[in-house]
Amino acid sequence: MDEIIHLRIDGRDVAVAAPASILQAAMADGTALTANVGCMGQGVCGACRCLVRREGEKQIATALACETRAEAAMQVSFIVYFTPDKPHRYDIAAIQDLWQLSDAVDRHFPEAAHCRHCSGCDRACPKGLSVQQGVALSVAGDFAAAAAIFEQCVMCNLCTLACPEGIWPNHLGLMVRRAIAALTLRPSDLIRRLNEIERGAMTPDATEKE
Amino acid sequence: MRTEPMAAPMAAIPFSVALQTWQTMPGQPMRPSDSPPQTLLERFHPDYAAQATCRLMVGASKGARCHPLLARIIQGNALIGDVDLAALAPVTTDILVIGGGGAGVAAALAAREAGADVILAAKLRVGDSNTVMAEGGIQAAVGDDDSLQRHYDDTLKGGHQAADPALVERLVGQAPAIIRWLIQLGMHFDLADSPTPGARLLRKRAGGTTAARILSYRDFTGLEMMRVLREAVELDRGVTILNRHPAVELLSNDHGHCAGAVLYDLEHATLRIIRARAVILATGGAGRLHLQGFATSNHYGATADGLALAYRIGARVRDMDSFQFHPTGIAWPQHLAGGLISEAVRSLGAKLINGLGERFIDELAPRDLVTAAILRECAEGRGVVRDGQVGVLLDTPGLLAEKPDLLSRQLVSLAHLADRCGIDPRREPLLIRPTLHYQNGGVEIDRHGATAVPGLYCAGEVAGGIHGRNRLMGNALLDILVFGREAGKAAATLAGTPLTGRVGLEHVRDWQRQLTYAGLINGPRSPLLYPAYGNFDLRAHMATARKG
Repeated sequence: MDEIIHLRIDGRDVAVAAPASILQAAMADGTALTANVGCMGQGVCGACRCLVRREGEKQIATALACETRAEAAMQVSFIVYFTPDKPHRYDIAAIQDLWQLSDAVDRHFPEAAHCRHCSGCDRACPKGLSVQQGVALSVAGDFAAAAAIFEQCVMCNLCTLACPEGIWPNHLGLMVRRAIAALTLRPSDLIRRLNEIERGAMTPDATEKE
Repeated sequence: MRTEPMAAPMAAIPFSVALQTWQTMPGQPMRPSDSPPQTLLERFHPDYAAQATCRLMVGASKGARCHPLLARIIQGNALIGDVDLAALAPVTTDILVIGGGGAGVAAALAAREAGADVILAAKLRVGDSNTVMAEGGIQAAVGDDDSLQRHYDDTLKGGHQAADPALVERLVGQAPAIIRWLIQLGMHFDLADSPTPGARLLRKRAGGTTAARILSYRDFTGLEMMRVLREAVELDRGVTILNRHPAVELLSNDHGHCAGAVLYDLEHATLRIIRARAVILATGGAGRLHLQGFATSNHYGATADGLALAYRIGARVRDMDSFQFHPTGIAWPQHLAGGLISEAVRSLGAKLINGLGERFIDELAPRDLVTAAILRECAEGRGVVRDGQVGVLLDTPGLLAEKPDLLSRQLVSLAHLADRCGIDPRREPLLIRPTLHYQNGGVEIDRHGATAVPGLYCAGEVAGGIHGRNRLMGNALLDILVFGREAGKAAATLAGTPLTGRVGLEHVRDWQRQLTYAGLINGPRSPLLYPAYGNFDLRAHMATARKG
């Protein structure tokens, strides 16, 4: 039957029936859970970020608690979600064409050009994205490649926390992604339908029932 | 007689046997249907179970049908009284948005565009919501073979003609403009062709639609949408975001209008009074109530908070006995039960197979029918059992043999989920079972998101009437943005108006009188704020957190 495993979460000794995620283990001892929880298993919201040390390992790794199995003798610390004031605010509508995107990177993320290549962001990413390369590609103006690197980013902000230069890599990646969509995506079928609606040539009629 | 999901273990075919049958069965025959759709629903859909409905005994919709578990919450007593508010200084704003998912953020952004000041309060963190978890996509009738009228007709028919036509008209009519708005904010969509000028949007089919109308980004459309929306609202200096601030009660003024809310600041373990010219409730649904013992695909915060708050101050509710059980939730392994497998997987061609190796329903029938059919297979002994978990098979190997490239691009979330289940979806089918997914009903609104209570607006899953009694895939992501923006725009017309008179909990005292007459005064308190297994109690939290 179910094996009971013991681990340590935020300084508490916790016992839980395996298999369970770290998040399920964190709820098992009756502690009120009001933060570091969101999608509970899908691994898309980035809320349950934590530091994990497995038995016999010296290295501490980052993980999302909802998608990581609780293991015996594991040590876990949740990282509270903080929201410091954004140092560089931009308005996506103000980036008006792709000629300006490099300028926008320099202006809104001036630290990005000073990346120390310490790989702290790569090690911090629980999704295994090549964050540092994404920063370099953004600075170099290779925006499509940068956008591809950040495609599956869940915005957990661990790279932002890890970066000693204060680059905010995930937010840089998101600005590049947003600018590309806002400046290049012009679907012809959508444009035609919007024209039809604006001309009054297409309206849903609540009375005209089959 | 109805068989309930959590009843005694039912007869089912062992997984290993079912797997062997599936491997050797040629052509996957479709077992002919033995009952018309309505009979299937009545016999097997969880909404129709004997214990799934009761009548509300108090409030503006007294006499209306409601799920009993939900009725206990929305007929609950308030968490706080006047004494709790003594000596608290109010903060004032134009618009208070409660809820940090797609609807709340859309409302906040629309109110800002209209020039209002906004406070956005989130129970967890802005973005933590069902929106970010949405996989399949968003409906908008953009195709040559499609029209707003078809979208309108499909939505009404899918909802069993129970939706409010005026709301559906607004929903489908705004859809193309919403897609443009999302693109302008920087959201990507999949294209049917290479990204050249003139490229068209990739369109997928959804169950119950007559044209391919689902627009998507991979199979994590909600993540792409929510991270763009969140960034937009976090970068807007006119919006004050209060994370970890659940709303515990609304405030009313002398005229019975909604005039703000009382929030609980979890960080400082103290209540905060926000006085507002209008309040927009965007608190989402109720999946974490686990109605009838079902697992859920919903995020942690889906505990029906807004329903309780809106009903107590006098708003009407509708279709509170109607829920969507998504056909394909994970059944095995148990610790991942309820996790969602997107309808996109069936939309792309994956079949459902019972323990006898048969198909048993059109996989792209409306969700309530597919769910009822799966529960029928389980109830009648043709389900598949693995370590005590009963469900049917989702034939991903069949799909991926035909289209092997899907996993790396279009079905990233499926690959991720299968990996956590320890399954190779190219070789082994997933064991699935319906999961509690969506609250079809909710607070009655008009096309501007306004409720019967002046000053109170609702948007997103907390609102009802848009989907009738069954929602189509892709209409939820659309609904939250259409009515989120409508509510934000309408509420913003109150910006700058004078704040006069007293504000307090008069409506709570009135509500308590009603509860006393109905004999319900000793019932539970609400809103719940967190699921039962979240171990949260407001008074205990205030006491221990203050001790330091």
